[in-house]
Amino acid sequence: MSKKRFNRRDFLKTLGITGAAAGAGLVLPRTILSEHAQKQIFEASTAHAAEKNGGQSYEIKPGELDPYYGFWSGGHSGEVRILGVPSMRQLHRIPVFCMDVGSGYGITNESKKLLKGTFVGDTHHVHGSYVNGTYDGKWLFVNDKGNNRVARIRMDYMETDAIVSIPNAQGLHGTFPQRYPKTEWVVTNTEFQIPVPNDASNAANFNKPQNYYGMHTIIDAATMGIVCQIMLDENVDLTACDYQGKYSMSTSYNPEKGVTLAEYLAFDTDFLIVFHWERIRAALKAGKYKTISGIRVLDGRKGSDLTLRIPVPKNPHGINISPDGKYGVCSGKVSPTCSVVELAKIDEAFAGKIKPEKCVVAQPEIGLGPLHTTFDGRGNAITSVFIDSTNVKWNIDRAVKGEKKPHVHVLDISYQVGHIMATMAETKEADGKWLVSLNKISKDRFLNVGPLKPENEQLIDLTGEKLVIVKDEPAYIEPHDVIMVRRDLVEPKVKHRYNMSDHPMAVHKNEIIRKGNDVIVRMTANAPVYGFQEVKVKKGNKVTFYVTNHDEITDLSHGFNISNYNVNFVVSPYQTKSVTFTADKPGVHWIYCTNFCHALHLEMRMRLIVEV
Amino acid sequence: MTGLFSVVVSLVLVLVFSYDVRAEGSFLEHRYPYTPNEALPGADRFVKKQGYWEGYKGNKMVGVVLLSKDWTPNLVGYAGKHLETLIGMDTAGNLTGVKVVFHAEPIVMIGLKEDNYKTFIRQYVGKSIKEKLAVGSGISMDAITGATVTAVVQNSIVLGSARRAALKSGMLQARKTEAPRQVSQAFTAQSWKELLDKGAVQRITIKPETVGLKAEAQPYLDLYFALADPPAVGRNLLGANAYEQAKAALGKRGGSILVVVSSGPGSFKGTGFVRGGIFDRFHLEQEAKSFIFRDVDYTLISEIKAAGAPPIREGGIFLIHNKDFDPGDRFAFNLVLPVRVGTTSKEVKSFEQTYRLPDAYMEKAK
Ligand SMILES: [Cu+2]
Repeated sequence: MSKKRFNRRDFLKTLGITGAAAGAGLVLPRTILSEHAQKQIFEASTAHAAEKNGGQSYEIKPGELDPYYGFWSGGHSGEVRILGVPSMRQLHRIPVFCMDVGSGYGITNESKKLLKGTFVGDTHHVHGSYVNGTYDGKWLFVNDKGNNRVARIRMDYMETDAIVSIPNAQGLHGTFPQRYPKTEWVVTNTEFQIPVPNDASNAANFNKPQNYYGMHTIIDAATMGIVCQIMLDENVDLTACDYQGKYSMSTSYNPEKGVTLAEYLAFDTDFLIVFHWERIRAALKAGKYKTISGIRVLDGRKGSDLTLRIPVPKNPHGINISPDGKYGVCSGKVSPTCSVVELAKIDEAFAGKIKPEKCVVAQPEIGLGPLHTTFDGRGNAITSVFIDSTNVKWNIDRAVKGEKKPHVHVLDISYQVGHIMATMAETKEADGKWLVSLNKISKDRFLNVGPLKPENEQLIDLTGEKLVIVKDEPAYIEPHDVIMVRRDLVEPKVKHRYNMSDHPMAVHKNEIIRKGNDVIVRMTANAPVYGFQEVKVKKGNKVTFYVTNHDEITDLSHGFNISNYNVNFVVSPYQTKSVTFTADKPGVHWIYCTNFCHALHLEMRMRLIVEV
Repeated sequence: MTGLFSVVVSLVLVLVFSYDVRAEGSFLEHRYPYTPNEALPGADRFVKKQGYWEGYKGNKMVGVVLLSKDWTPNLVGYAGKHLETLIGMDTAGNLTGVKVVFHAEPIVMIGLKEDNYKTFIRQYVGKSIKEKLAVGSGISMDAITGATVTAVVQNSIVLGSARRAALKSGMLQARKTEAPRQVSQAFTAQSWKELLDKGAVQRITIKPETVGLKAEAQPYLDLYFALADPPAVGRNLLGANAYEQAKAALGKRGGSILVVVSSGPGSFKGTGFVRGGIFDRFHLEQEAKSFIFRDVDYTLISEIKAAGAPPIREGGIFLIHNKDFDPGDRFAFNLVLPVRVGTTSKEVKSFEQTYRLPDAYMEKAK
C-alpha cells in the first residue's frame, strides 16, 4: 500500500505501519483447545512461514475440480447459487423463493406446493446444517426477507425441499442453524418491528409504533415447524449460534422503536441480545407463553430472564463467532469499532454475577463502517469495512490485550463491501485459505453492460500475512452472504440421480386416465422418446401430466415444454414432476424436449391434440 | 348425498388406457426369433440343461448352446439393456454360431444398419473361447465403427457367457487358482516409488507411433492403475478422505476400488461414457468374467497423494460392486484405444497388463 493512499483518508492514517506486527497473529488462544484445533493452529503456524506471501493460484485447470463448494445467496433474485472456489465458476442455481422457468420451479405442481403462489423472495444468509461445530452436508437454510419465510435445501439433490412462513415477523433477516451438538434448531430474526399479530384483529395498533415488536423465531430443522418466538421491544438484525448449543445472539439497532431514520439513531447504545436456550425450553415446558397467530410466543422483553442485553455502540450489524468458540465479534456499522464479547462471561452475566457490559472484553477501532467479520482460524479476524471500502485483518488476541488498533493489514477493495467470508470460517475448522469480499458496487471493474451493473465478488488469498486480491468476479442481483465448504464434506452426500420412489406418483406404466373433465396423463421420458407419441384431450379439459425420467445415466435430464401453454420443466434421472393446466386452446400443440438428451433429442417430441 | 353419488359416478367413468413402458421405444428395439441349432448347426438333437442346451449328433455330444442373459445379465449396452445373444460352441471351445436375439442399441443414429451389427457378430464364428479376444485384438470393429460401447459390451457378453457355460459344463477346466487371499487392513505410509516397486501400481506406456501418430519422446499415454482395497495402497494413493469415501460408497455390500490415472495427450476415459454411461476404453478380465465400468461408479480425481507421485492429467476412482470380482486373484486390465489410420479412418487397438495385488498387502483368507 502506498503512502499516498494512506494520506487520502484521515482515518487510515492513524492505523499506519501495523503490518509489521503480523507475527503476533499466531499467538495461541488462552483457553484449552481441542486436539483438533491445536493441530490446526500448529499446521497453520508452520505453514505460515512458507505461505507468508500468499501466492495461491485460483486457477482450476480443465478437468480439475475446485476444493470448495461456495453457497451464495442471490438477494432479490430469490435463489441460491453454487460456485466452485477458488475458480469462482458458477456451477448451479437453486431456485428457492422464485420462479425458474428453466427447471420449471414455480410451474410444476410439486414446486407450487412449496411456493404457494408467492414467488418474490429476497435471500440473504445461507448456512449449512452442523454436527459438532462443522458442516454435515445435509441441509442448507436460507431466509426470505421479503415475504418472511425460511427455506431448507436438501444437499443430496441440491433442491428446495421445505419452506416455512413465519407469522408475527417482518423483514426476516439474520438466520442461523444450531452448531452443537447438531442442528436441531434454526433461529431467524425480525428486522422490522410490527404490531403482533399484524392482522385486522390488531388494527388499533397499526399506527402505534410503541406497540410494535421484534421477534426471535426458533424453527425445528427436521420438521420445519416453528418451535416458538421470543418477543422483544427491539428489532433483531443479524444472528449467530454459539459452539456449545447454549445460546443464540442477535444484534439490535432499533431499541428506540423508531420508524424514521432520525428515530433509529436516537440512542447512543444499542444491544447484542443473547437468548438462553435452556431457559427457553424450560419456559415452553412450563407453559409460560401466549399463543399468537398459532405460534407459542415467549416474552423476552427487558426484565425477562430468557434474554441478556449487552450494550454495544450505535447501530451494530454483523455478529460472528470465532472458530475457537471463544468470542463473538459484533461489527459496529455506525461506530468504527468492533465489540469483542467473551462468550464464557455470558453465563456469569445471566447469573447476575457481572453486569452485561462486562462481557465486552475489547473494542478495537477497525475503520469507518465495519459490517461483518470472518476468521482465518489462526487467531485473526477480517472485517468488512463499508465506508472505507476495505477489508481489515486484525488480531483478536492483541485487541483483547488492549490494543486499540490491532491491525495486521488493511486492503482496499473495489468497491463498498457488504458481507465478507473466509473458507470454513463459520465452523471450528476454519482453514484460512480464501476470503471473499462481497462488494456491492463494481463501477469500472467490468465491461459496461448498461446502468444495472454487476456486483463484484473479490477473491482474496488469505494464506499470507497480507491480504491479496487475486480475482474479480461479477455477480448478478444480489448476493448478500456466502459460505465456503470443503469439498470432502459435501461431495459424498450429493447424488447423481433421484430415487424413483421419492415421488409417490412415479410413472412405471404409461397410461391416460379420463375422469369426467379431468385427463391425467402418466408418462415416461426415456431418451429419445416420451411414453406417448400423442395425447388427445377435449377443449376445456383439466389436464395433468406426470412425467418420470427413466434414464439411469448420469446427467441425462429431459425437458418438457408444451407449445403455447406456458409450460416448461426439466426431469432429471429417475425424477418425477407434474403439471396441471386447462386445455383452453384447440389445435395441435407439440410437446418437446428442451433439455438436450440424445442424438435424437430434436425428435423427442409428441403431439398434444386439443379437440374442439 | 350428492357428493357421494358423484364419487360413484366418476369411478364408473374412469377410463384407463395403459401399456407397458417397455413397449414404447420399440422402434429402437430389435427382437429376432431363434432356434438352438442356428448356433450349433452340426447338432440334430438338443437336451435342455440348467442354463444351456447340449447338442447331439446321434449319440455323440457335439457342443453346447446358451443364451447370454442366463450368464451375464448385468452386462448392458448403450441403451441400458442386455444384448441378448445366442451362442453355440463345439466341445473344443470353438464358437460355432453367434446371433443377437434382442438389442436396443441405437446404432441407427450413428449411421449404422442392423446388417452392420450382424457382420460384426459373425466374426466370432470359428474363434476359440480359449483365445485372448478383445475388440482391437482378434475382434475388429470395422463393421460398427463408432459404436465402441456396443462392441466392447457385446464382446464381453459373448466371451464371458461362453466361458462361464464352458466351465459349468466341464468343457473348460478352471485355471488352478492359488490359495484364496484376502486384503490386509494393515497400514504403513508408502511413497509412490515404493508402491510402484512393490507392484501395487502397474503401468501401461503407449508411444505416439503405436497409435499412428508422429513419433515423439513423450508417451502418448502413460497410465497407472492399482487395486486400492488395501489401506496401504488406497490411503497412500488417494489420501485418507477419498479412500474412506470410496469405502463408504461401496457400502455394506462391499466390493473393490480400482484407481486409474494417466498423463500424456491420450485418454483412458474417452468420451463414450458421456453418452452411454459406460467407459468403453477399459475393462477388467478375471478368469471368464469381464468387469465394465459405468459413470455412476466413478469419481474424478486430479492428483495422487502418495509422496513423489507425478502430476496427472486424468484420474478416476472406479468401484467394482460385482461380487464375482476377487481382489485376491490376478486379473487383466484391458485398454482399448482408437488408432488413427491415414487422415479420416479410425481403428481400435487393445493393450493389456496383468495385475495381482502383491502378497505384502494381503493375508491368507480365513
Ligand atoms: Cu429428451
